[in-house]
Amino acid sequence: MTESKVALLEVSKFYGEVLGVNRVTVEIPPGITSLVGPNGSGKTTLMNLMSGLIHPDAGSIRMRGISPREPERLMRITGYATQYDAAPRWSTGLSFLTAGLLLFGHDRSEAERKAWAALDRLGLTDAAHRKMAAYSKGMRQRVRLAQAIAHEPEILILDEPLNGLDPLVRAETIALLREWAAMGRHVILSSHVLQEVDLISDQVILIANGMIVAEGGIRNVREEIQEHPSQFILRCRDASRVAAQLFEEDHITEIRLNDDRMGLLVLTRDRERFSRALGRIAGGGYKIDSLIPADENVDALYEYLIGEEK
Amino acid sequence: MKQLSWWQQARTIARIEMRRAFFSRRAFWVYGLALFPTVIFLGHFAQVKFQRVRLSSTETVRPALLDSLREGETEEAVLERLGKAPVDYDWERRQRILDREDATGITTHGIEPAVTARYIRLNVIRPTVTADRSARIGEFEVYGNSGVNLALGRPASGSAPCSDGEGPEKAFDGDPRNIWCSGARSKYLQVDLGEALPVSRIVLKHASAAGKPKELDTGAFSIEASTDNRRFETVVNLTGARLVDEITRYRRMSYFDGKRRADLQFVEGKLASIDIEPLLNFEEDRSIFAGVFQLFYLRLAIFFGCLGIFMNLFRGEVLDRTLHFWFLAPAKREVLLLGKYGAGLIASVAIFTGGALVCFAVLMGFHDPAEVQSYLNGAGMRHVFWYATAAVMGCVGYGSVFLAAGLLLRNPIIPAAVLLGWESINSFLPEFLQKLSVLHYLQSLCPVPVPMDDSAPGLLRLLVAPAAPSSRIGAILGLILLTAFLLSIAALAIRRMEVSYSTE
Repeated sequence: MTESKVALLEVSKFYGEVLGVNRVTVEIPPGITSLVGPNGSGKTTLMNLMSGLIHPDAGSIRMRGISPREPERLMRITGYATQYDAAPRWSTGLSFLTAGLLLFGHDRSEAERKAWAALDRLGLTDAAHRKMAAYSKGMRQRVRLAQAIAHEPEILILDEPLNGLDPLVRAETIALLREWAAMGRHVILSSHVLQEVDLISDQVILIANGMIVAEGGIRNVREEIQEHPSQFILRCRDASRVAAQLFEEDHITEIRLNDDRMGLLVLTRDRERFSRALGRIAGGGYKIDSLIPADENVDALYEYLIGEEK
Repeated sequence: MKQLSWWQQARTIARIEMRRAFFSRRAFWVYGLALFPTVIFLGHFAQVKFQRVRLSSTETVRPALLDSLREGETEEAVLERLGKAPVDYDWERRQRILDREDATGITTHGIEPAVTARYIRLNVIRPTVTADRSARIGEFEVYGNSGVNLALGRPASGSAPCSDGEGPEKAFDGDPRNIWCSGARSKYLQVDLGEALPVSRIVLKHASAAGKPKELDTGAFSIEASTDNRRFETVVNLTGARLVDEITRYRRMSYFDGKRRADLQFVEGKLASIDIEPLLNFEEDRSIFAGVFQLFYLRLAIFFGCLGIFMNLFRGEVLDRTLHFWFLAPAKREVLLLGKYGAGLIASVAIFTGGALVCFAVLMGFHDPAEVQSYLNGAGMRHVFWYATAAVMGCVGYGSVFLAAGLLLRNPIIPAAVLLGWESINSFLPEFLQKLSVLHYLQSLCPVPVPMDDSAPGLLRLLVAPAAPSSRIGAILGLILLTAFLLSIAALAIRRMEVSYSTE
């Protein structure tokens, strides 16, 4: 069974004295798996370790039963689109992909056919004969994706694959990844955009400071997110009394009174009930000057999920 | 899809990498290096062509006439026999020389008309005709109408003396062996005659009259006279003790017999030297090529060219942030190494062996075809083969050195400097250490030794000749072993290599 999984066992990687990842043990089944974590958390390090671009200082990695130390076997079943925004200056999109495919043993016509197919999937047919030096950032991102899928790998590793893509291409790419996963293949991608992960992942691995802090199905993580108390900043004249009224609601977990006694920081587990309660209080004659959400961003969610790690 | 063997993969990688090896912007200068001697040879042949045209502006002379020239012939005799020369120019050389070998070191200066003066002063402009900066006068005699030395024993003054015993009074004591000597910046010697008297002749006894070497006689001086010790009148203009201007007339004429150029130099109308040389000397040019090949191609061009090409194969990819594409290919890292080495080798061999052979071909192309054909029928083709082999093996050896260096080190300057130093001192090392040098083997493969005349410094001769040359087969095997060793080290390095552009 392990042969169909990507398995990391007690994997550590240090850059000198700087921690890359520390004692990571995880088994990734086929499907779309997202590595989620803030910048510098170790997502790219994990991907580089899986693809053999860097080697672990401790632990072992098996990619569907193959060690990353055997690129001649591993890269036949693996495609990796890195985040490095670089490409051979003199190559066109087509020649770049074709050259890579020749090393798989395809003859030139077969290599070109596969290259065209991959470019077509990523909407780069028109730019196939243009020098890559003239590509936009989004096009370079797409050509890297095309290069990763061109040999139809069993394991697709993608580092921030949706960065720099316009909405249409983004949607097409997500469809492509879903299709890939539906064939029983591995799609491992990294992202720091939770909403994006929410949309496409079958499973999520949360990583912070080089360690895995949570892993599992996307539903579990989403529930954790929903349980996360929302924070609001409330400005009103009679803050103490408004606070007293709000405390009667069972979904309110915490209220902090501002020093000027004109503002409140309110933490609620149920935004809708909080909204209704606030309506009632305003109807009772209390003037609410403003209401600002304080945590409607990814960082706040990380803070909750990863705590002090971020 | 067929499974490629490691060899087929290496070949495919080499084919893809050829572009980087041949046309990398970072290593474009290697073409200049490879073609530099060709450009120099072309320049040389262009100059010969220009000379030929210039020398053929008048009718060429018969070879026998050139051979009949003898030193000592007059200009007129040569012109009458050989006719007007296509190159003919003359010049004069003016030289200050000692007037006579038997001069006594005494100069007499007549003053006409005689002047009336009380103070007589000698100003020394150049103290000697050598680098000695001290003026020396044995005796300074002043005469009026009679034969009495008016200055004898009179009060004297002068610039600071060289020593206490060489003061100004010594020049007026009647004994030329007692000298006045002064090394002061501004040198002068003056006598007070006591009253204003007619002066018509001055006699100076210089250093040689006092028994010193004649080179120490006063180089240049003037003499002034005054009645009041304030206003002085020059009575003897700038002159020297023994110097005169000698003018020598030179003339150079060149003749051409269609192949040889004769440069004739005449001195004072007489043929002083004859230099007859072929305008193009095949043997000499071949010898020069041997020197260019060893000293330029092997020691500089191939060395630095391989540095540029092979270091760039991996370092260039790291700088361009494209190395990971190769590491993500389904090929062993060692196969990638071989493929890239192959690409570098093909490029360097094509550029440098090609460059050397083009240079050789240019050399052949400008010489007499019969002479060239005879050479090629003899040792010529063998020479070409070994020149090409040495260049190829140079690329093989230095290529492996710099490919390994490119994987192990970030800065190419350090390994290049260390290796260049090692290769340079190789001749001085014990025999077994000499074998750890690429250049040692390459020199053993060269078909023609570097031309070196006996006057060349011993150190230079030692540098260009291998102290203990290997046999050619031994040299090739040695280089292959050295290359295999270096590629093994490179293979170990590439297996451990990680892609980490951020630290570059």
